[in-house]
Amino acid sequence: MEYLGGVLLPQLLHGVVFGAALGLLALGLTVIFGLLGVMNFAHGELYMFGAYAGIAVIALTGSFWVALVAAPFLVAAVGALTEVATLRPLYRREPLHGLIMTFGLALIFREGARQLFGGDMRRILPPIEGSIPLLGMTYPKYRLFLLAISSILLLGIWLFFTRTRAGIVVRAAVQDAEMLDGLGVNVPRVFTLTFAGSAALAATAGLLLAPVFTVYPQMGVEMILLAFIVVILGGMGSLGGSVVAAFVIGIAQSLLTLWMNPQRVAIAIFGIMIVVLIVRPRGFFGREGVLE
Amino acid sequence: MLEVQEVSKNFGALAALAGVSLAVREGEVFSVIGPNGAGKSTLFNVISGLHVPSAGRIILRGEEVTGFGPEVINRRGLAKTFQITNIFPGISVYDNVRVAAQSRASVSGRLPSLWRRPDVEGPVMELLGAFGLAARRHDLAQSLSHGEQRYLEICLALATDPALLLLDEPTAGMTPGETKDATALIRRIAQSRRLTVLLIEHDMSVVMGISDRIAVLHFGEKIAEGPPEAIRSDPRVLEAYLGGADE
Amino acid sequence: MSKVLSWRGWLVFAALAALPLTPWMSKYYMLLAFDALLFGAVAMSLDLLMGYTGLVSFGHAAFFGIGAYATAVLLERGVLSLWLCLGFAALAVGAYALAVSYFATTRRGIYFALLTLIFAEVIYTFFRYTQTFGGSDGIQGLPAFQVLPGVAIDAPARLYYLVVTYLLLAYLACRVIVRSHFGQVLVAIRENEDRARFLGYNVQRYKMGVCLISAVLTGLAGALYPGRAAYATPDLLHWSVSGEFLIMVMIGGLGTLVGPIIGGAFFIVLQEKVSSYVQWYNIVVGLVLVLIVLFVPRGLVGLRDALRGRSGREAAG
Repeated sequence: MEYLGGVLLPQLLHGVVFGAALGLLALGLTVIFGLLGVMNFAHGELYMFGAYAGIAVIALTGSFWVALVAAPFLVAAVGALTEVATLRPLYRREPLHGLIMTFGLALIFREGARQLFGGDMRRILPPIEGSIPLLGMTYPKYRLFLLAISSILLLGIWLFFTRTRAGIVVRAAVQDAEMLDGLGVNVPRVFTLTFAGSAALAATAGLLLAPVFTVYPQMGVEMILLAFIVVILGGMGSLGGSVVAAFVIGIAQSLLTLWMNPQRVAIAIFGIMIVVLIVRPRGFFGREGVLE
Repeated sequence: MLEVQEVSKNFGALAALAGVSLAVREGEVFSVIGPNGAGKSTLFNVISGLHVPSAGRIILRGEEVTGFGPEVINRRGLAKTFQITNIFPGISVYDNVRVAAQSRASVSGRLPSLWRRPDVEGPVMELLGAFGLAARRHDLAQSLSHGEQRYLEICLALATDPALLLLDEPTAGMTPGETKDATALIRRIAQSRRLTVLLIEHDMSVVMGISDRIAVLHFGEKIAEGPPEAIRSDPRVLEAYLGGADE
Repeated sequence: MSKVLSWRGWLVFAALAALPLTPWMSKYYMLLAFDALLFGAVAMSLDLLMGYTGLVSFGHAAFFGIGAYATAVLLERGVLSLWLCLGFAALAVGAYALAVSYFATTRRGIYFALLTLIFAEVIYTFFRYTQTFGGSDGIQGLPAFQVLPGVAIDAPARLYYLVVTYLLLAYLACRVIVRSHFGQVLVAIRENEDRARFLGYNVQRYKMGVCLISAVLTGLAGALYPGRAAYATPDLLHWSVSGEFLIMVMIGGLGTLVGPIIGGAFFIVLQEKVSSYVQWYNIVVGLVLVLIVLFVPRGLVGLRDALRGRSGREAAG
């Protein structure tokens, strides 16, 4: 019972918290891939930018809360600029070009961050300190806050995609991007806004998770790999699938660290992915014919 | 030649096909018509192996092919053309048909194919000639006009030496003149190669002029089947087309 | 049917073979040339996958590195025969490639890119963080290959000839494949995968086939690397190395075979010269890639063709 309350439950909750943030990250990736046909290899760097933008804003204003609002906007602007300048010309080309482009962008962003901010680890102090008693354990308040914010955002996104006209159109377009043309929609603008939105999501996840992990230029690389696994597991093109898979991976990773060192955890997660791919090649919710 | 038995196909909650049955006899030209969204393309996709039916069976030349993939069904003698032109854009017209014809070469799919190149010049030139594409054989496929690309579509399908040809709106986007030529060409080729043809078409003049039998689909169900004269005057068919189905 | 290699091609190889005889070929330049040609060969084998079949591999470093470790493991145990090392490397890489390609080819192209990346990451993690193969230090202090008992490849010139021979054989193999029936189907898959399926081709099998070929060629190149470096380390497996292979292909030009060889050589020389001067070398690399994709997607070879007024890339013959 001690073990349950003292070790297992907190770890489980850590996993849920992490899964929620991972879900924000993976969602952005899925939407961009479905809508623009680009698998954004620089997504992890947008996540990293969120953390660094947060550091910069905090240095200026001293407030984490201001940063939480400002950083996503800043990164969204970067995202929009990037999309217009480098990705837009590629939409008519083979998808291979977009992939390689985002890979190149990732290199630039990563090294750029290293030059701008230095390669050493930085810390962002949690804006909310202390723990509260919860379900028989004491749990850090900040992580609960993280979970709350992530969940609200996920809920908001879900509402956007199911209740607003814009959202429904975008969601349908994620399944079939060609239909947008027929609806008289300003497609380039939708693409840029969506890309900016996805960047903002990544940045938010980055800033939210920054007080939990450390901040360094390579932090996006690990996360992007996890995000890829999430997207594959959830089924390409399935928004709900990405979120579910994110929680699964988050919890799995968190629980496995109780029993294995980090590297073996990575291999174990990979093993899970392989097993799922064997049993359900489409992922949890991947649909026949969609992006197949 | 082909038997479709009680085939249904659901996409999530949407029932695209519900218990459709038909039988296509060898050598005939069989058309499938119906308002937009009736399920015609879905039916073709199920028959050709792109989708697995939710229920029912497909029997091709006496053998069951339900649930097989497109490559297997093609090797069993069924070739399909696509409603939206589906060719190999970045290579030449000749290479397009060549790669199609080579799929039937003895070396295909086996180790020697890593260094051998089967000679298919004869069949390829014959097809290109029949469709008037011989002069443009070195041009990139994407540079062809729409009508020429539709012809190339059909060439690709024919190059695999099928017994049954599925044509999904072959005259889509063609001018009336091109449509007439295409129809005559299809009929001639079908006869000279003793092909069975299964056809989806919107152009009624084509359908009535070329078909031996017609089936009508509406909301995923077959509502009528018979020779052109019978279909032309069938009240259910008229209602389906005129009764606001095209909204 | 024209010859596999034109007289121009033979001339180039003759020139390459004559290179060690020129006066300014110090040991440094010889090894640089070795690297340039070796990685050029890797880029060429990646081009089979990327340029001809349209599949992007983000995990090619794994093929290279496994080949290197396979050789290292044998050399460490005193098995010095070049042939045994190459054979073992081919088997090891082939087995890995079989597994990766099986999962990576069941669905659309993007799955291939993602899964090759993820698999390669796991391989890297395994070699770097477990002690099975020496952990982060890898396997060091390796002896030289022996072509025949007593004939060791222990001089830069001999290494160089080894790699030139390899490049020639690999290039010939690639040319034959690209002009064959198999090669044509690869191009068809690149142009329109669905249509190829509807023409009766088992597309997954072809993708697995080309992945295997590309992987083994890369693995054989990797197997030669410890001959030059006398070690095999996890750094060879890092995703950044995979990225560099991609860059080499793009610089040279997709779907040309020759282009990536040049691109690889160019990149190695560039890396050697620039990284010693500039700290932010990676930004340069990333920028080069972005600019190439935007403005010169057909790479150096595309540039040359554009200047001569020729069109598009090879359609396999």
